[in-house]
Amino acid sequence: MKRGKGTWATVLAGVFAAIWVLPYAWMASTSLKPLREIADDPTAPLPRAPQLDAYREVFGQVPVGRYMLVSVAVAVAIGALQLLLALPAGYALAKLRFVGKRVAFALVVACLLVPPQVTFVSVFLMFAKVSLTNTFASLVVPFAASALGTFLVRQALLSVPDEIIEAARLDGASELTIIYRILAPLLRPTLVSVFLVSFVYHYSDYFWPLVMTTDDTVRTLPLGIALLKEPGSGVRWHVVMAGNVLLSLPVLVLFGIAQKHLVRGVGGGG
Amino acid sequence: MGGRVASHLVARRQVLAGLAATSLGAGCSRPVRDAKGRIRLRIWYTLGGRNRETFLEIVRRFQERNDDVSVEPVYQGDYFESLAKLRTAIAAKSAPALSHVVAEVVPYLARARTLTALDAYPGMREIPFVRGIGQEGAFRGGGDLPLYAVPLNRSTPLMYCNGELFAKAGLAPPRTWQEVVEHARALTRPGGERWGHEVPISWWFWVALVGQAGGSVFDEAGRPTLGGEAGVAALRLWQDMVHRERVMRPPPGRDYDAWNVTNQDFLGGRAAFIWTSTAYIRYLEDNARFPVVAAPLPKLARASVPTGGTFFVVVEQAPEAEKIAAARFLTFFCEPENATYLSMRTGYLPITEPAVAKMRADGFFAKHPNDDVAQAQLASVDAWPWEPMLFRIERDIVDPRLESAVLLDRDARAVLAEARALSERPG
Amino acid sequence: MRARSKVHPWLMLGPSLLAWSLFVFVPLGLAAYNSLFSWDMLTEPVWVSGANYGAIAEGGELGRILGRTLFFSALVVAGSMALGLGLALLLDRPGRFFGFVRGAIFSAYVVSWVAVALLWVLLLDPDRGLAAAVLRALSLPRIGFLSDPAAALPTLAAVTVWKITGYAMVVFLAGLRAVPPSLHEAAALDGADALARFRYVTWPLLRPTAAFVATTSLIVSFQAFDVVRIMTQGGPARATTLFVYAIYEQIFMNLSVGRASALSVVYFVVLCVLAALQLGAWRSQRTTRGT
Repeated sequence: MKRGKGTWATVLAGVFAAIWVLPYAWMASTSLKPLREIADDPTAPLPRAPQLDAYREVFGQVPVGRYMLVSVAVAVAIGALQLLLALPAGYALAKLRFVGKRVAFALVVACLLVPPQVTFVSVFLMFAKVSLTNTFASLVVPFAASALGTFLVRQALLSVPDEIIEAARLDGASELTIIYRILAPLLRPTLVSVFLVSFVYHYSDYFWPLVMTTDDTVRTLPLGIALLKEPGSGVRWHVVMAGNVLLSLPVLVLFGIAQKHLVRGVGGGG
Repeated sequence: MGGRVASHLVARRQVLAGLAATSLGAGCSRPVRDAKGRIRLRIWYTLGGRNRETFLEIVRRFQERNDDVSVEPVYQGDYFESLAKLRTAIAAKSAPALSHVVAEVVPYLARARTLTALDAYPGMREIPFVRGIGQEGAFRGGGDLPLYAVPLNRSTPLMYCNGELFAKAGLAPPRTWQEVVEHARALTRPGGERWGHEVPISWWFWVALVGQAGGSVFDEAGRPTLGGEAGVAALRLWQDMVHRERVMRPPPGRDYDAWNVTNQDFLGGRAAFIWTSTAYIRYLEDNARFPVVAAPLPKLARASVPTGGTFFVVVEQAPEAEKIAAARFLTFFCEPENATYLSMRTGYLPITEPAVAKMRADGFFAKHPNDDVAQAQLASVDAWPWEPMLFRIERDIVDPRLESAVLLDRDARAVLAEARALSERPG
Repeated sequence: MRARSKVHPWLMLGPSLLAWSLFVFVPLGLAAYNSLFSWDMLTEPVWVSGANYGAIAEGGELGRILGRTLFFSALVVAGSMALGLGLALLLDRPGRFFGFVRGAIFSAYVVSWVAVALLWVLLLDPDRGLAAAVLRALSLPRIGFLSDPAAALPTLAAVTVWKITGYAMVVFLAGLRAVPPSLHEAAALDGADALARFRYVTWPLLRPTAAFVATTSLIVSFQAFDVVRIMTQGGPARATTLFVYAIYEQIFMNLSVGRASALSVVYFVVLCVLAALQLGAWRSQRTTRGT
């Protein structure tokens, strides 16, 4: 009976795999078809004669390399900043006793509840006042501190024995040294996960760059690809799907390599 | 190993600081001249496909002849997205000198004092725009105001008929509302296989109907009456055709998605006659597998079409050098050679009288009867009021209500009364 | 441990707190402040006190936005939790095939919303999309997934579920694996079958995980924007104008900062209330059950 259950599970798993994999396959397949074929025979699964015209058009119309560089730079900068800030903050919350700790903790929790959609209006106006809209800074700095990252670091630090810190203090190490040179390496898996989760989120972010940028100086790739869906004279689906493939490829590759870390970061750290 | 993580973080920080510094600079200082000392002329545009190619070709020609200017065209999506970005850029004081906006929003931007009056720049006042296309004929009293807007791609609604289907049914394009309903009835096939008529449920076409019914969206004093009885009649025409006669399909999707569906349905033979913009003459002719017959919109009490499309505008806050360059570009753009090039390649209405004359002399209109029909229809153009609330009333108040009224068959009179009440309220 | 200096903890929290003040708390306060003015960013702000709140509530519009968003959230939370749990139970088996399936499902969570939304617009085309082909193959009637006001919102919910179920699945998997096998064995020895084991052993221990997933799914679905912007732009006939999209519309289409701010304030309050209710409900259930 166990074996029967096994095949039943496999079949069911196969169905779900199809539901999640087919759309990507469709995306890739459409990107290789010429436009006429999509109009004439939309449900054909494979292109009759695959061609790269759509990709040529995407690269012609959209500075893919530049937008991708901006997206990656933004995501890396945010991830790095978040690690930089989360380590001491998580340390203070995990290891130190001080007056006002509860208040600080409550503030961190409060941040988790405030989504960017509530703050973007005011943040945009703030940046506008100092003429910093449409800049790299406006895309990065608002995310410098991560409440989630702080929590995960704190959680990971809770299971680090106090003795290590006490020993380091006896050795005369400064608190900064302890945080960045002693504890950080111990927390490497957590830090990697936090960075990756943040990277993936901010690389793919559509909303914040949409509201913060006004032209293509620091336009990110998701925005560039979304613009491929042009109004009026018929959506060029093969071009749009080619753009999609280009957009998704880096993330999927990263996912393939670092799946374990991403899963851990999402599933609650440590 | 501990040192490595920390030094990585420090190294990252340095890179970050460097990046931030360069791009803080990029956003903040907005140099007027580029590295080679040329004046930077930023142009935000929203044209796609062939229209974009044509526009960029004109930009290229200008660039060739003016090597003291460096033109930077940036694509910004559709009209509405671009307008949103322009307004926020103005608020953030980082707007480009030149962009183009929908006709109905020009009064709003002008009243908010964000636009430059172009009269002072050499040659601008003398450009012989076609009446109804330029600011003078497009807005009531437009000729008495400072010149804020230069036409780019101007258009009117136009009716396109599937020549093959009409010939088979022995029909000519409908000339009155009555004929619209009758012809649609004759040409509809049941089960959604073919609809007689299709038109995007949008303010623009509704305004045309209101005019045809003898009404006007704004009265002489500039109050938004929304056409009164004519407005109700216009809305009811659509509702009846969709829900009772079942000869019309309201295309799904918002804004230009709906326009796109209309075009595709027409090309695919699923809609026998459609109303859409003159801007699509070339596109539809090129992509249809049947003869495309354009016709003026029908009358009820009279013939009436609004104008649409966009005007170039120059923002006031841009650096003076950039604005001068923008004015030079505009004069170049309006020269007969470029105006005819744009019009012939895209199907947009030619913007200056000399351009029209040249095209006629070249036999263009003889070869392209549909364009001739569009030209002739200009005689029925009704001007917009120079009313700052025009755009908000259109986008915010009327358009969504038209959509819901047609899709859900709500009471036309009540819907328009609701809209009227909201329109009369300030800001 | 004691801090070496009273100042240290605040220095360590300092940069983070500064960032949060500047980009979270101050903007929140500014939003509340701006909601009392009428301002279009191009001209001077005008004091209108509560008029903006009246305007957004006018004609029941605010109620409708709230209703749609709650309905959407309910669909997404229920869908992603049920599916996430089911998939976690189904796929918690060894082997590369199951590992691949888990990965495929989770990958949707990681990919950009732009890609997912554009992809599904194509797949859901009512005449030429894959979904339509499936319907035709099953002799089902044509559905205007994104063009029918009644179908649009559930369709967006379904697409959202497709994207985020991987997340729920992963969290549930972690929770499932935290259940000690000894408990399962003990229950099996007592004669409990798979279903009973799930009900009495697994589920009570999974509760906190489920609460976590439910709360985060609620917050994520309440923030839905990209899917609306790209797939339906709030239509048809405003059927998919969810809260965040409404805020975006007010600020970027109508350039009404006052109204956008008023909407933001209401939005935040509602979200807090919901999160508190949700957590409260899970917690009280757990204590009354005596686990």
